[in-house]
Amino acid sequence: MTQHETKSDGKSAADNGLQTEFVERWRDAAYNCYSSGHKFCREVCPVMQVTRDEAHTPTSFHANIVAMEKGHLSVEDVARDYVHCTQCGACELRCPNTLFTGDFYRFRTRTVEVVRAMRALAVDSGVEQEGWKRWVELTDSYRSEPVMGDVEVSQDHVADWAQGLDIPIGGDTLLFCDCEGAFFRTSTPRAAAKILKAAGVEFGLMREQWCCGGPAAEMGYVEKARSFAEHNIADWRSVGANRIIVFDPHDYISFTEDYPRYFGDDFDFEIVLMVELVAELVRDGKLKLTQPINRTVTYHDACRLNKRKGIHEAPREILRAIPGLTFKDVDHVTQWSYCSGAGAGLGIERPDLTAEISRRRIERAAELEVDALVSACVWSERPLSEQGGKRAEPIEVLDLLELVGQSAGLDDEEVGS
Amino acid sequence: MTSVMLSDPVVEELVSIVGRDRVFTDPAARFNRARVPAPFPVHRWAEHVPDAVVLPVSAQEVSEVVKLANRHRIPVVPRAGGTGLTDGAVPLQHGIVVDVKLMNKVFELDLEDRTVTVGPGINMMKLNEELRKHDVIYPDDPASYPCSLVGGRIGTSGWSLIGGRYGHTRDLVISFEMVLPTGDIVRVGDGGGKKVRKSSSGYQLKHLFMGHQGTLGIVTEATLELVPRPEAEFAAFFSYEDYESAWRSTGALARSGLATLAGVVLFDEWKIRYLRRDDEAYIPQPDSVKAVVAVAMYGVADEVRPAAKRIMRIGKESGGSYLGDEISQGDWASRHDRYATPLHGRLPDRQVAPMSWHCEDASINWSQLPKVREKWHALVSDLIERHPIFDDWGMFAYTNGAYKPWGDYLTEIDVGIWEQELDDESWEAWVNCKRDIAAVSLEHGGSISACHGSCRAGEVDLVPEELGGGFEVMKKIKKALDPNNIMNPGKYLLDSAYEDGGETL
Repeated sequence: MTQHETKSDGKSAADNGLQTEFVERWRDAAYNCYSSGHKFCREVCPVMQVTRDEAHTPTSFHANIVAMEKGHLSVEDVARDYVHCTQCGACELRCPNTLFTGDFYRFRTRTVEVVRAMRALAVDSGVEQEGWKRWVELTDSYRSEPVMGDVEVSQDHVADWAQGLDIPIGGDTLLFCDCEGAFFRTSTPRAAAKILKAAGVEFGLMREQWCCGGPAAEMGYVEKARSFAEHNIADWRSVGANRIIVFDPHDYISFTEDYPRYFGDDFDFEIVLMVELVAELVRDGKLKLTQPINRTVTYHDACRLNKRKGIHEAPREILRAIPGLTFKDVDHVTQWSYCSGAGAGLGIERPDLTAEISRRRIERAAELEVDALVSACVWSERPLSEQGGKRAEPIEVLDLLELVGQSAGLDDEEVGS
Repeated sequence: MTSVMLSDPVVEELVSIVGRDRVFTDPAARFNRARVPAPFPVHRWAEHVPDAVVLPVSAQEVSEVVKLANRHRIPVVPRAGGTGLTDGAVPLQHGIVVDVKLMNKVFELDLEDRTVTVGPGINMMKLNEELRKHDVIYPDDPASYPCSLVGGRIGTSGWSLIGGRYGHTRDLVISFEMVLPTGDIVRVGDGGGKKVRKSSSGYQLKHLFMGHQGTLGIVTEATLELVPRPEAEFAAFFSYEDYESAWRSTGALARSGLATLAGVVLFDEWKIRYLRRDDEAYIPQPDSVKAVVAVAMYGVADEVRPAAKRIMRIGKESGGSYLGDEISQGDWASRHDRYATPLHGRLPDRQVAPMSWHCEDASINWSQLPKVREKWHALVSDLIERHPIFDDWGMFAYTNGAYKPWGDYLTEIDVGIWEQELDDESWEAWVNCKRDIAAVSLEHGGSISACHGSCRAGEVDLVPEELGGGFEVMKKIKKALDPNNIMNPGKYLLDSAYEDGGETL
């Protein structure tokens, strides 16, 4: 280290105007945070709660942009720090700028977008994270994410989960199955499909389903993500689909936020979130939950539903409708600070952090003296299950749709198996 | 300013103490530990950047870092939350930032003797999430309650919004462990064991090691008071047609003698005008609302409920109009977040500009509040006239005494500063204004700071005047405990302690 080496020229070695453009775009938003300095976001951040490193905070994520404007830092200096975010959105909600001036000014702190934009700048500037780079390359190659599961990841097997369920290809309504469900937790899409059939909802599958592209977009590979989106939309159009049902919250973000951004008004599909549809079907009596499930559970608010989309009532409504179930709830605001750590590629670059965030979430559940944690996010279920299984008194992690399937008497497999 | 070089061997020594994954020398880690929310000369950011950052996890590690710093004569700056509204955690002379955020464990919860012993990196809100399961809380409740950390509360000797009922940080921290500037580890309290609240053995060192802004060492563990989780909360907001009536009412409420009274807050008409800009609770208020008084109580229901009736009576008898349950309960519940966000900022042409918040925090006796208020607003108006990047966000006055909340008030003028536009000239004007504001506090028998610490540029020049002979004692203590001036040098004019033959960096 040299004497007070505080000055870099702040110029990115790879800058061909990209960093300047980025700073121009985000500078004012950055000052809205920098000028506040409240840092109320910090203790709700699932990553910061573990690392306690100020460089991993929304405050720093914004201050870095001010430092870039002033010529103190460049994208090379900060790119690695932006790995430390699950894009859960808790910080945005907890920000006083959102809470107390948001309505009046129609303003909301957009840390998730800042993180995504910085990651994209890094990728476009050639500052890549090895794990993410490999993940996106493999996703490109397989057309699905390279999730480690029992099913080989390839287009030949992307619909293996549906074997024996007699689901047609195409139609007005499609069920989109995310990569983790297609190749690892296949019991979840099976439960989803059976529920839809039992409730009389007609639906089909895509001809050739690719990854939604969301993970690539979250890691900064925007063009790659868009190419997946283009394929999927072309597939939907080719089979005459107008309505897409998704059970994975991450897909829901892709289809309701990323795709409209890519395609503007041309994106005219109705996106239906399975958990909201199920709540409606139960409410309307079209899906009968008759089989008692004699377990004591709590619910894990999926970040992308609760914090990103404000969806927290529907899953609770469903759980309360299941006979026999003892449901010990923790309110959705308290759960702003909970997360599984699985989102936005954190588990690829920092599996240690994902494991610790999941462990803490499981311990929160254990304090309630429950025997299972129910999740509505298939991506959260693997790391949470791993940690739940490590306990002396294991906490099982159940998928909400699988639980519904069981209570509706549609089960041909043990829940959670 | 003396120059310091952190050579690679020094970094390697730091690595040998705390491990490679807890020593940071990269620019982003350092730039992000150069500032706090206090107004900051953003155009001179690079002048305040530390050379290295360490995240220790034990007193022993902190001690070894401090000893290393002594050997190499490198400044050490402790950093807890970095949420201070003065600049105690800003490394004025670079050096090593000792960031205690990883020291956030709960070591012992003693429900019999009603204490909890924690690391300095724990946040009060997170601590209370654990404590409330046991029907107790740690009632240190600053505006930064959701983010500030126990170590910083001790380093600044913080003030709590509900201190009138439960006391302030100095009353709530029973004892703590310190790494002294020489690296020695000591425990200070009133005396006796770490859970003893009152002792008369020897010097009362606890107060000496609170509010020193990191100039006398680093807290590594603290034993804190537990109080029963209050079963009842009562908050009432009253409006007034003029400041004087509101001020008199504040005095009457604070002198009511109600033991459950946690605090009384006076909003002046500048503050009301500021809130009318965008706050849905204040926009609809009629023009006749010129000032507001808020009052809050905590305790057992048997005490709070009847006391609430008396509060309502005093409020109304003093000319107040109750603003209703929604504002009273909602505004009080959101008190940490509500009143100072950047988007409230306005330029003279009423355009919105994101402004940072300067929070003046003088201690002023009740009788002097009206005069201080007039003078402060005049100073800020003059500043705005010359430099329209500043904005007057009005004044609050909060009851300031622990348990007997009547004599003096944490008196706050909030000044918005559009940092994007700061330059040397406007920063200098700000520092001069800050000094003038502090001078008014002293003219009226007050103190420059009730809770943040008075070491910000400008005001710090008047600390010798405020403390008189006490400042000379401070310098002697500083030099005796920190012979090499390694603990947070440059703060509180304490470098002057080393000017006459003392060893300096």
